[in-house]
Amino acid sequence: MSPSRNGGHADAGNTPASDRFEEDVLALMPALRRYARSLVRSDADGEDLLQDCVEKVLARRAQWRGINLRAWAFTIMTNLGRNRHRYTAMHPQVALDEDLGLEAETRESDPLERSRLERALNGLSVENRSVLMLVVIEGYRYQDVAEMMAIPIGTVMSRLSRARHQLAEAMKDDNVISMRRPK
Amino acid sequence: MTEDFNAVSEDDLHAYVDGALGPRERVRIERWLDENPARAEEVRQWRAQAVELRALFAGYARSDAGDRERLSRSSGTEEARQEPDGQDRATRSRAGFVRAVAAGFALFVAGGLTGLYAPSLLPSGGARPSQIAESLPRQAQSAFLVYASEVRHAVEVGADEQTHLATWLGKRLDHPLTIPDLSALGFSLVGGRLLPVNDKAGAMFMYEDGSGRRLTVLLGRNADNRETSFRIDESDGVETFYWIDGPIGYAVTGEVPRALLQQVADECYRQFEKSEATKS
Repeated sequence: MSPSRNGGHADAGNTPASDRFEEDVLALMPALRRYARSLVRSDADGEDLLQDCVEKVLARRAQWRGINLRAWAFTIMTNLGRNRHRYTAMHPQVALDEDLGLEAETRESDPLERSRLERALNGLSVENRSVLMLVVIEGYRYQDVAEMMAIPIGTVMSRLSRARHQLAEAMKDDNVISMRRPK
Repeated sequence: MTEDFNAVSEDDLHAYVDGALGPRERVRIERWLDENPARAEEVRQWRAQAVELRALFAGYARSDAGDRERLSRSSGTEEARQEPDGQDRATRSRAGFVRAVAAGFALFVAGGLTGLYAPSLLPSGGARPSQIAESLPRQAQSAFLVYASEVRHAVEVGADEQTHLATWLGKRLDHPLTIPDLSALGFSLVGGRLLPVNDKAGAMFMYEDGSGRRLTVLLGRNADNRETSFRIDESDGVETFYWIDGPIGYAVTGEVPRALLQQVADECYRQFEKSEATKS
């Protein structure tokens, strides 16, 4: 599994030309959009998080070391996602998924399955969810995730484990209910 | 058999699912799974999860017509106030940061051994703190949760008006204030705001590191005028170090590794002490 699809160019030492930097960020937008959406509960929240992240990345470009822009942007997104989650946890709202027309078009499976999986995901803590997404969807190695989140690799493993067990459990519970319902 | 059983760990199973193992290891795990059908079923579920998760979000990995505009709109919107200095944090590597945390932790452990951070740094069955001390970490955590998630209005007065901020909040708190400088730990001041603490005017300062992690330092009046050692309070992943020093209670809050938060609390304590000493 390839650890780092490096979205950046490695000319550390020079101040990156701003045009080039913005082009690199632009090239990362699909990956960032997907990761943003995978951390939150609705399309609208995903686009909000993406916007916050892009703003932060541009505002902090002076702090970028010049290597692996992708991992750096993902770290920023992870932290923003966590801050946001804390806030919504304190101010629970009904998740209104205004359909922004961003849904996966290629998706074949049952929409019920999709919402079941999303509900199960929403039951995960934001920390466990981030680790799961970085590993499973974004393809980062455990060591990369540890560095990005500034946590020991043992914590990465325990979060991953908790996320997987909890997800499996949530999906299983749902199964039991839907099997009983017809009777 | 028994040997095999012990040799395959939970971590091995995840590494197997995530394709992080070499061919020989894979074969070893597969043999083991053949003999452990319950775990094999779990592994099958995790793999199915991975496929479903990728499918669920695959469609979002695309460019949007508005992306370029979004980028140019963002350029320069986040004002310089969040970056009061062009400090050397730019060159501070992630690995360096991890090392710094590790070093901090080592220090922390060493300090614990020598009694440097002694009496009740770790939660212990010592004397119960007063009611006010009890509520201080709660208030600090609420403030953190509310304001750390604010991107644009996290503070009332930005770091660019640091002197004004110190004077203003000092006056409201009725206690001369210095704003801790945490740049050595990689955190720069975002700004501050006025907040009610124990029903009186209190002050909050917010800091942020290069990757956007935030910390808050909260100060509030403390009626019973006594001293405590450092205490830790953790609630839902948010940690608070707090202490009371005469008329003022202090609380340092964040979602960062405890060792780092401890360093921050130490640093704040040292700087507050120093300013007290020069003032009296």
